[in-house]
Amino acid sequence: MTVTWGDLLTVSPLIALTLAAVAVMLAAAFFRSHALALGITLGGLAAAFGTLFVAASRAERDVTPLVRMDAYALLFIGLLAAAAAVVVLFSWGYLDRFRVHPEEYYVLLLTATLGGATLAASTHFASFFLGLEILSVSLYGLIVYAVYRDEAVEAAVKYLVLAGATSAFLVFGMALVYAQTGTMTAAGVSDLVAGLGDDVVATIGLVMLLVGIGFKLAVVPFHMWTPDVYEGAPAPVTAYVATVSKGAVFALLLRFLLPVSSDQGSTVFLALTAVAIASMVAGNLLALRQDNVKRILAYSSIAHLGYLLVAFLATGERAGLAVGFYLIAYFATTLAAFGVVTVLSPPDRDADRIDDYRGLGSRRPVPAAVFTVVLLSLAGMPLTMGFIGKFVIVTAGSGAALWAMVIVLVATSTIGLYYYTRLIVAMYVRRRDEAGPAATPLPAAPGGTLGVSVLGVLTLFLLVFGVYPQPLLRLVEHAVSVLPWP
Amino acid sequence: MLSLLWLIPALPAAGFVLLVLLNRRLGRAGAAWIGAGSVGLSMLAALLVCGSFIVSPPAGDACRQVLWTWMDVAGFTPAIGFYLDAVSVVWVLVITVVGFLIHLYSTEHMEHDEGFTRFFTYLNLFVFSMLVLVLADNLLLLYLGWEGVGLCSYLLIAFWQKDPQNVYSGRKAFIVTRVGDTALIAGLFLLLTQLGTLEIQPLLRAAEQTWAPDSTVAVVAALLILGGAVGKSAQVPLQTWLPDAMAGPSPVSALIHAATMVTAGVYLIARTTPLFELAGDARLAVALVGIVTLLIAGFSALVQHDLKRALAYSTISQIGYMILALGVSGWEAGVFHFGTHAFFKALLFLGAGVVIEALAGEHDIFKMGGLARKLPAVFVTFTVGAAALAALPFVTNGFYSKDLVISTTLGTADGNVWLYVGSILGAFVTTLYSFRLVWVVFFGEAHTEVTRRPRWRQTMPLWVLAVFSIITGFLWLPAWIGAFHPLEDFLDTALPPIEWTGRYAHFAESAGAAFVIILIVYGGIFLSYLLWVPWRRGTHAFAASPVVRPLAAFWLGGWGFDWLYERVFVRPVKWFAHWARHDLVDYVVDGIAWVNLAGWRTLSAGQTGRLRSYVAVAGFGVVLVLAVVVLR
Amino acid sequence: MASVSLEHALILAAILFAIGFAGLLTRRNLIVVLACIEIMLNAAGLAFVAAGARWGQADGQVMFLFVLAMAGAEVAVGLAIAIRFRQSLKGLDVDDADRMRG
Repeated sequence: MTVTWGDLLTVSPLIALTLAAVAVMLAAAFFRSHALALGITLGGLAAAFGTLFVAASRAERDVTPLVRMDAYALLFIGLLAAAAAVVVLFSWGYLDRFRVHPEEYYVLLLTATLGGATLAASTHFASFFLGLEILSVSLYGLIVYAVYRDEAVEAAVKYLVLAGATSAFLVFGMALVYAQTGTMTAAGVSDLVAGLGDDVVATIGLVMLLVGIGFKLAVVPFHMWTPDVYEGAPAPVTAYVATVSKGAVFALLLRFLLPVSSDQGSTVFLALTAVAIASMVAGNLLALRQDNVKRILAYSSIAHLGYLLVAFLATGERAGLAVGFYLIAYFATTLAAFGVVTVLSPPDRDADRIDDYRGLGSRRPVPAAVFTVVLLSLAGMPLTMGFIGKFVIVTAGSGAALWAMVIVLVATSTIGLYYYTRLIVAMYVRRRDEAGPAATPLPAAPGGTLGVSVLGVLTLFLLVFGVYPQPLLRLVEHAVSVLPWP
Repeated sequence: MLSLLWLIPALPAAGFVLLVLLNRRLGRAGAAWIGAGSVGLSMLAALLVCGSFIVSPPAGDACRQVLWTWMDVAGFTPAIGFYLDAVSVVWVLVITVVGFLIHLYSTEHMEHDEGFTRFFTYLNLFVFSMLVLVLADNLLLLYLGWEGVGLCSYLLIAFWQKDPQNVYSGRKAFIVTRVGDTALIAGLFLLLTQLGTLEIQPLLRAAEQTWAPDSTVAVVAALLILGGAVGKSAQVPLQTWLPDAMAGPSPVSALIHAATMVTAGVYLIARTTPLFELAGDARLAVALVGIVTLLIAGFSALVQHDLKRALAYSTISQIGYMILALGVSGWEAGVFHFGTHAFFKALLFLGAGVVIEALAGEHDIFKMGGLARKLPAVFVTFTVGAAALAALPFVTNGFYSKDLVISTTLGTADGNVWLYVGSILGAFVTTLYSFRLVWVVFFGEAHTEVTRRPRWRQTMPLWVLAVFSIITGFLWLPAWIGAFHPLEDFLDTALPPIEWTGRYAHFAESAGAAFVIILIVYGGIFLSYLLWVPWRRGTHAFAASPVVRPLAAFWLGGWGFDWLYERVFVRPVKWFAHWARHDLVDYVVDGIAWVNLAGWRTLSAGQTGRLRSYVAVAGFGVVLVLAVVVLR
Repeated sequence: MASVSLEHALILAAILFAIGFAGLLTRRNLIVVLACIEIMLNAAGLAFVAAGARWGQADGQVMFLFVLAMAGAEVAVGLAIAIRFRQSLKGLDVDDADRMRG
């Protein structure tokens, strides 16, 4: 089969990202300049965003059986590119004081985003695998980037080994599915899920596929790397891992395993239910008396993926709406949360101890206010996007009569309220035994103004769409309507 | 022009946001311009919109503007929408005009206060919430405004938060009004489940069509709404918080606790008139609450030493008049009295603020005196306000509105002689206490020196309010004077007109009834002069005599409601909480906490930090699922 | 030459996979761990080749090439990380890397 110029136009977002990565590499070979690398990166991400509209105008969406750039894929690629751009903006101030050259960081970010974008548009095992691996290998480099920090190296080793092992599971699962069905397309997998019947080998294959997906999504029982990697990696990289890599894989999950919700008795459905419930419970419980802010956010993200799985397992269009909206809300809150950590970090380490946040309300009111809104949104308070998201998920779940999961969702959200509020209280309430500022005063970070402005925009996003969510809901509805619902 | 409706609440909201964001960077001038300016602009918008509404009324005599639907999920579509009709026009004009004057006054009154910016931040939030309350087209949005004003009231009562007493007052206000709010929420639930919607106009129409008159559901719904109104409007039995709320700055007392928030209950009942028309028993309850409150509060006001507390009791009493009017189906009369009262009561509070400031914080009226010559502008305007409060015949707005209210107690089908007698007695007591304040504060010898004089930003609002306290009465002349009643015609477009069908209607509408009031008022003024100017020592000796003293103390303490509540509610609850501190419910609550902590400890121990254990857990999970798959 | 049936090939792949996984669980040297991952990946690749043979398509072998390439890239990065690991923890014992826990 030939690839025409038109096809290239259709995949132009992916091409844009690739070219940007190459451009940064070449530029770094000639001029070692942080600003130049940042500029080219942002330019590349902007180009990727712009070419989304070029791709949208193309009638033919399938480019080889590997990739389909439909509205769904374009929405997710846009989301991933936007998230990557936010991470880049946070990284500017953070990397300036790094003891290693920052230019390669941007190359890796771009290639990781390329991998994620491929996943979002993937309809075939080959592009699934390639996208996943491009993403993963880039992340190995990003996590270990602060090579002089021991915890970064430890985190990278844990991520490397677990990612490698689970991708082996993934490939084996793909092989089994291929062996039973003769097809490697998403449609084939969907058909398999819809009509599983007694094919044990194929079911085993599907389960092993889920191992690879589950690791990236950081759901129980593949979640154990999450707190360590989040703690060890540099804060902007953590933001990236927490959002883009999960979002891309979730987008793919929806495309490949869509009909899973049609048969509530099937093994895959039950397995996913167990995973969802376990993730919600474990994620919320593990964060309970955690003292490291990044670990709290890590466990909280495990729980949130559990909530997303509940949405995924509910049937029909409303499930897609719930998933898409909650994913966007999750992106915004997570980026903002780790953005706060980034902006507050002194040059030698990340600001991840709770003591760093005591009395933040009076020392650094703007980041404190942002963090408060973020925590309230994570807890699902009304007037934030998190509330609308949870409301939509509960409605979807109730509509599909997934009572066990909805009850667990509500109960564990209440548990979550405890540790989110604990952080807010630490920021604003001064204990009687404290005389003045906290033990470790945090210096103002260079490039912090850029980071703080981005935080402001994200907070506004959370509040505006908490009060007026309709436009976003319509957009997501349009995007998910292209998927063939059972 | 009507499309600017949304600007009216949006401008104070914008002011609030600006003040929050620019907090540290704004000086006094900046905060004053933003704070007062936003309400000033809102007032302009209100004048334009309401003016346009009055001059060229829209179809159906009402205008609805839906901004957006909050969300559209599973058929539940709460919307942010505004509804303007004659009733809301009256409230909007009062809130914005009086509100602006008070904001202007505050820029000078609070100029030495260190919480200047914070003050205007809260005030702007309050004006926004109050406007949302009166403009809301559905009960959910109305409740949002209801809660907003309650929050701001708490924040502003406890404004000088370094003194714990102020904080207690704020907390008391919050808790007591909470009781009413609970009744209101119950009422909203009832209405939603019975009638299927919370949008006000469709809800009222549905109630009229599906509920039989005097049916239980209508009475219960109306009583629950009355419960909410009683809390917010400080009526018996939930009136105990308002006198203590005087701990806040005087502009707060003027705006929130005289002109606007406390009238939210009156507005609520006026807004849901059809529900009350369906429930005769509820109307009777409303009228009883009104008459009891106005008498109790009136007598309490008579013996107060603190200037602001006296005005607070007076406010409670006058709102009792409004509630009474509503209870006898004199809907428009209640609204009229609200309008007139807002002007003269705000005037009185602002004047009191100037007096207290001038005397360096002295609140006790018996330590004042002789201020007529020292503070002439305040003297004149305060007297105008007191005269309006006392319903000085013909020249004050209070006369026309109070005359109308009293007439309705006798002249409507729901009215009866006892209500009439009670309201007449109340009017007499009102005259007594209002002029008592004038004689004691402004006449006689000066006990405290004047150290601070007001300048134009404080005196100008006083003059403006004084003028309003006179001219707004002429908007509705009684039938026996002449046929000039533009306000009545205007309100007829939104409220049922007053039906003079009682047994004594003919007398009530006649000049004879007005003559009774005129007699009472002049008699009261004369008597108060005698009691507190030439015979003052005798009055005090009388009040201190062993027979009268307990009675005076009883009235001073608000007829013992605080004492009663302390013994019936507060102490038993505290005792029970102490006794039950190791009870079964504790085990449940502690048990939940223990289970969660145990779960945390177990799982946390599982996070060993060792890579191989991570792989093991993952592998274990996979093997488990595969086993299930294979064995199925 | 007799052809190998799909079931036999898959069983071989599964055994290899299990060996690799067992090694992953038991060995403490980081290099050996990486080698075990390689075994697992190659076992999966073998399964792909077998599946491709069953359907008579080249897709299985193409996927194996992808897996091979990717494994190479992963090893490259993994060994670089291993070098850093040795520098910071003075050894290649993965059990020593438990500073972050809880």
